Amino acid sequence: MLKRPSSRRRSHPAEIQINLVPMLDALVTMISFLMYTMAFLSFTMIESPLPIVSPETNQHQLRDRPLQLTLTINEKDLLLWSPFDLIPQRTIQNKQDGQPDVLKLHEALIAIKQKFLTENKLILVPKGVTSYDTIVAVIDAAKALEKTDPIIVIKNEKTGVQEQAKTLFGEVVFGNLLGGDE
Amino acid sequence: MRSTIRTRRGRKKIHKDFELQLTSMMDILVIILVFLLKSYTVSTNSFSSVPGIQIPISKTQELTPDSLHLIVTPDAITFENQRVVEFVKTVDSLEKDSAKAQSYAFKNEDLDEGGMRIARLYDALNRAREKAELLRAQSTARDQNGNPLPFDGIIAIQADKRVKYDTLRKIMYTAGAAQFRIFRLLAMRQDQ
Repeated sequence: MLKRPSSRRRSHPAEIQINLVPMLDALVTMISFLMYTMAFLSFTMIESPLPIVSPETNQHQLRDRPLQLTLTINEKDLLLWSPFDLIPQRTIQNKQDGQPDVLKLHEALIAIKQKFLTENKLILVPKGVTSYDTIVAVIDAAKALEKTDPIIVIKNEKTGVQEQAKTLFGEVVFGNLLGGDE
Repeated sequence: MRSTIRTRRGRKKIHKDFELQLTSMMDILVIILVFLLKSYTVSTNSFSSVPGIQIPISKTQELTPDSLHLIVTPDAITFENQRVVEFVKTVDSLEKDSAKAQSYAFKNEDLDEGGMRIARLYDALNRAREKAELLRAQSTARDQNGNPLPFDGIIAIQADKRVKYDTLRKIMYTAGAAQFRIFRLLAMRQDQ
C-alpha cells in the first residue's frame, strides 16, 4: 500500500502583497508638484558693463600700454587687434554661410590668453548691422572655456595659488556704445 | 442600445478577488520622477518668453537673478510690462513673420542726442531709477557708513536674435544715460 504523499510539498507559501496604493498616491503628488513648479524655459545671461571713459583712465592706459584686446565684427570677417600693437592683427574670415567662424576665433583667443594670462577683458566692436545672434555667438566663443581646450593656469594674486582659469575673457565690454560704427 | 442575451452571457464576470497590478505603473512613475528630479530647474526670476520673438542660444550657464526687464518685441520696446516706444510700421512688418520683416527703426521724434538716445525710454528708465532709489532710501538696509544702499543700475535686455546691434546700441546708450551701468543680455541656455 502506497503511503500518502506529504502535504508539505503541495502547500504553497503564503503570498505577501504590499499595498502600493499609498505609495502610488505619493508619487503622483510629487510628480504633479514637480511639473507645476518646474521652469521649462531656462534663461541665461551675458553680463556686460557700461564702458566708463575718463581722462585718468586714458592717461593710465597711455602709460601702462595694456593689451586692450579688441574684436571688431565686420560684415565679412572678424578682426582681432590691440591698440598698442601688442599682438599682430589677425583677420578671421566668415564661413561660407556668412556666419562668423567662432571656432577659429576661439582658438585665436586661447593662443592670446596663453601669452597674456592675467588679461580678462575683451572690447567688442560690432557694426550696426551685426545681429544679436552673432553678438551672442561671438561672446560665447570669447568667454567660455570648453572641456577640450588646453588647460590655462593662472596665479591667484590674492592667495598666491596657481588655479585653472574658468573663463577665457570673462569681461566683455561694448567698445562703440557711446559712438557710431567708425 | 440594449444588449442582447447572447452578449450578456458572453461577458466575462470579474472575480471578487481581482486586484489591479500596480507594479508596472509604479515603475513608470518612478522613472518619470527620477527624470524630473534630474532635470529639475527652478526659476529665480520672473522672465518669460514672449510670442513672436526668437531668443538666441548661449553656452553661458550663469543664473539670471531678477532685475528690471526690457523686451524688444517686433512692434515695440516694452519696459517692465509697459509699452514704451513703438517701431516704425512698414508693409512688410504686417506679414506673419513680423520679426523677420521688422526693421526695428525708431521714429525721428522718439530720438534725441544726435539720434542715439530714445527719449521715451529714457524717461521710463529714469522713473524706474527714481522709484528704486526712493525704495532704498525708505528701506532699513544701510551700507557701512549708514547711507541707503546705492542703486544697482542693472537692466536685463531680452530681444529677438535678428535684432541689429544698431537698435541694441541705442537702447544701451539710453540706459547708460539713465545711470544703468550693467546690461544683462538674455539668452536661452544651451544644454551641455
